[in-house]
Amino acid sequence: MTQRPLAGNNVIDRRGLGRMLSRIMNASVDEALIGLVDSSDRTARRVGFTGAPGAGKSTLISRYAKGCLEQGNKTGILAIDPTSPVSGGALLGDRIRMDAVADDARLFIRSVPSRNAHDGLCDNAPDLLLAMEQFGFDDIVLETVGVGQVEYSVKTLVDTLVLVLMPESGDAIQAMKAGILESADIIVINKADLPGAERSHAEISVILGHRPRTADTWSTQLIMASDIDGRGIGQLSDTIIQHRAWLSTHRDHDDMRRKRRAYHLHSLIARRVHEVMHQMGDDIINQDLVGAFRQLASLVAPVDRG
Amino acid sequence: MTLKNKRILIAKPGLDGHDVGAKIIALALRDAGADVIYTGLRKSPDYIARVAVEEDVHCVGLSVLSGSHIELLKQTLAELKDADAADMQVFIGGTIPPDDRDTLIQLGASAVFTAEMKIDDVVQAIVDSLKDQS
Amino acid sequence: MAQTTPAGDQDNSAPPPVTPKIGTRLRSGIEIPTVVTADMAPDRSDDRPGEYPFTRGVFDTGYTGRLWTIRQYSGFGTAEETNERYHFLLDGGQTGLSVALDLPTQCGYDPVDPMARSEVGKVGVSLFSLAEAEILFDGIDLGAISTSFTINGTAAIIYAMYLAAADRKGVPREKLTGTIQNDILKEYVARGTWIFPVKPSMRLIADSIVYSVEQTPRFNPISIAGAHVRDAGATAVEEMAYTLANGLAYVEELRKRGSDVARFAARLSFFFYVHMDLFEEACKFRAGRRLWAKLLRERFGVEDEKALRFRFGVVCGGSSLTAGQPYNNIVRVGIENLAAVLGGAQSIFTCAYDEAFQIPTEFSAEIALRTQQIVAYESGVARTVDPLGGSHFVEWLTDKMEQEILTVMDEIDDYGGVIKAIEDGFLQTRIARRARERKQATDDQERVVVGENFFTREDQKPDYGEVFKVNPKAADAIMQKYEDLKQRRDDSAVEVSLARLQQAAAGESENIMPYLVECCHAYATVGEMVATMKKEWGEFQEPVRF
Repeated sequence: MTQRPLAGNNVIDRRGLGRMLSRIMNASVDEALIGLVDSSDRTARRVGFTGAPGAGKSTLISRYAKGCLEQGNKTGILAIDPTSPVSGGALLGDRIRMDAVADDARLFIRSVPSRNAHDGLCDNAPDLLLAMEQFGFDDIVLETVGVGQVEYSVKTLVDTLVLVLMPESGDAIQAMKAGILESADIIVINKADLPGAERSHAEISVILGHRPRTADTWSTQLIMASDIDGRGIGQLSDTIIQHRAWLSTHRDHDDMRRKRRAYHLHSLIARRVHEVMHQMGDDIINQDLVGAFRQLASLVAPVDRG
Repeated sequence: MTLKNKRILIAKPGLDGHDVGAKIIALALRDAGADVIYTGLRKSPDYIARVAVEEDVHCVGLSVLSGSHIELLKQTLAELKDADAADMQVFIGGTIPPDDRDTLIQLGASAVFTAEMKIDDVVQAIVDSLKDQS
Repeated sequence: MAQTTPAGDQDNSAPPPVTPKIGTRLRSGIEIPTVVTADMAPDRSDDRPGEYPFTRGVFDTGYTGRLWTIRQYSGFGTAEETNERYHFLLDGGQTGLSVALDLPTQCGYDPVDPMARSEVGKVGVSLFSLAEAEILFDGIDLGAISTSFTINGTAAIIYAMYLAAADRKGVPREKLTGTIQNDILKEYVARGTWIFPVKPSMRLIADSIVYSVEQTPRFNPISIAGAHVRDAGATAVEEMAYTLANGLAYVEELRKRGSDVARFAARLSFFFYVHMDLFEEACKFRAGRRLWAKLLRERFGVEDEKALRFRFGVVCGGSSLTAGQPYNNIVRVGIENLAAVLGGAQSIFTCAYDEAFQIPTEFSAEIALRTQQIVAYESGVARTVDPLGGSHFVEWLTDKMEQEILTVMDEIDDYGGVIKAIEDGFLQTRIARRARERKQATDDQERVVVGENFFTREDQKPDYGEVFKVNPKAADAIMQKYEDLKQRRDDSAVEVSLARLQQAAAGESENIMPYLVECCHAYATVGEMVATMKKEWGEFQEPVRF
């Protein structure tokens, strides 16, 4: 499997991008603010995939990516894996499942541990995505773990959110409870060859059917997919394209930019608070709460570099 | 001893199918705080170099129990050089006869590990060699 | 759990040697009582060797009727060099051949393939075409010598090659004896020489078994191996449990094809490791015999006692050997050899003391061979069948292991069966965990490995004495032979045979074996045959899980 970059527009400076992403990943908030890419003149089509481990996201992503590559698009994948709360380390295993299927010089995959992020993303996620856009990717896939509050954050950062479920795994119920079915643009029932697929499909259809719909809302699409017979992949790509087309006429782009900016700001502040509390240790905590709050607030401001 | 924020690639080049040693080390490095990617079996040196560069790892660990450690180390180092990543450390582990150790180090391996070494010692050696790398 | 008890008073000289305690708990979790009395043990006084459920042995004639096959694994470099080593071993008293093949041959790559180049001729002999097989067996009477091939992903191809070689030598197929390991399920989990996905691989195996029963009725077309999962880290209990589960999966595959299970079951054989705990090993085999017979009868209704015989070969050594103070391994292998005989193995391979780290030299290979001969002819353990039978401890432990083995098999069934467990990576994860536990236990000195974590010498370095060096010119010689073959063979015959092979692979109704034999006779290469089948079946995608 030779990954020599192709000549011309499709060259990816892998070493350069790899290093840039490391800098961003490891950047403290101060460093992130200095090197901040607030917005990018180049944008990519962003698709997010979320769902519990074992649902088969990696294979779906790699097939979707293959489709993008076949269109000649430079495609980047950011795969987020959970950091172990015990050791602080992580096994970043998803990319290996992905690059077996799509072996292409225009494909770039990067694994990122979640580190301090508790919303299913990772530190400096908005910056990582912006950096990839700067490098000229046409399509970017963001993979997160989990069925939980994750979805709000992912939803902000991507254009289309795909939720991947397994038949009869109870995910559907959990998802429904957490309100996730609301945020997903597309729901894929993966491994649809397994028993219970039809029933899961029926259950979720009912739930979706109850949602209020107006002419201006996108109604969440439900797809059955399976590795065994290959069904659903084409449908998934087509549906993503449909959603994209819908977005171009229905999405309030300013609203989207504001939401992304708000998330970016929020995540920087949250990380800054974490950094300061980590540095200060017990000193801050041992004060009364109001005093601690005031001190923390004053330390959160970035160091004045004049 | 910690490998916090260090990124390490554990790879199985060539056709050797014994992966237990590689998995044990990968888990131990994760438990020491590293972000670890394990490639699975049967990877070519150029694939390994590509992953190393995309993931911008601090070091690459090769696991070879088929006796082809010298050739596979050479090939991997060459591929990393081609990919502008000659600065990445490469350590190697497996069934390595004592006579071959020096050869591997001279070729450019940062360390040679064999099965009877304690896991903690292996991890410590990696911690030490990555200490000065940001 | 070994605890350390420093001996003597404190003084200022060197610290006293630590004296570990003898641990009472087997790695498989069984707690061994210090005394086993008759009331603790089941009454097995009605058990007879050669009678269902065969706990005491599958044959009542024992080793005095026929000694176990001394079958030393061997192979390296070119077919010529290996042929020479085979003559050396046969002249030295070995009674069967065990062929080690190089990784390109095992994984289905030709020597010139970029994935294969650095592995050509290293861990075994390169057998890329029939021409090499003819050289390998030059001067060896295939009708008289039993040949075992440790081959899995390409087992059907190598078996076809063996038949073609016999054809060329004028040896009637009915006279051929030996084995192909041909056990793909364990490859996915512990050995890694898989090629195709599970389903077509099961088809290949069923095809080869069905064909073999017709064509080579004295040949064992499958040796279901727990050995490798054991060596990778599984416990003795798990080794037997995974093996029996795999065995039942193969029987089920044959049953689905409408085959007469009893007819094929008689030709299934097994392969295990023997590690250091002598009684655990012997009882593992006794429990295995009993369980296999019972399970085949209960789950598949097999009544014919000949079809219920659990025949197995073993390898003594592997990961139970150490690099430190390597000559200790001679003792280890001797003890393991004893365990294998007490357990009733049909075929035994004893590792050389340096085998875990390199290909053995003639010196170390000879010692390994002599070990078996000493056990066979000087120790007396082979005189009577199942000499341990009736011992309170042995009967107690056999029952205990049977229970534990069934528990693990139930866990696999609960998961959804062994094939699902493999495709999902469930078994792989278990094995990796056990391996880690084993290593940690050694590092933490909870188990004793003499010369490695206890009773070491300062500054000890591994010392293998003479180091076997694979002839560095072997790889070049093999490449040259490959080029020569392509020059002199009839390309159109190769093309035709491969096209017919592809068609047979595409369909589901024909047995692939005759097409493979035809390809071999045309001197198609292993790489070409595999590439042809990959076109129809694709490649296995490893679930990287741990």
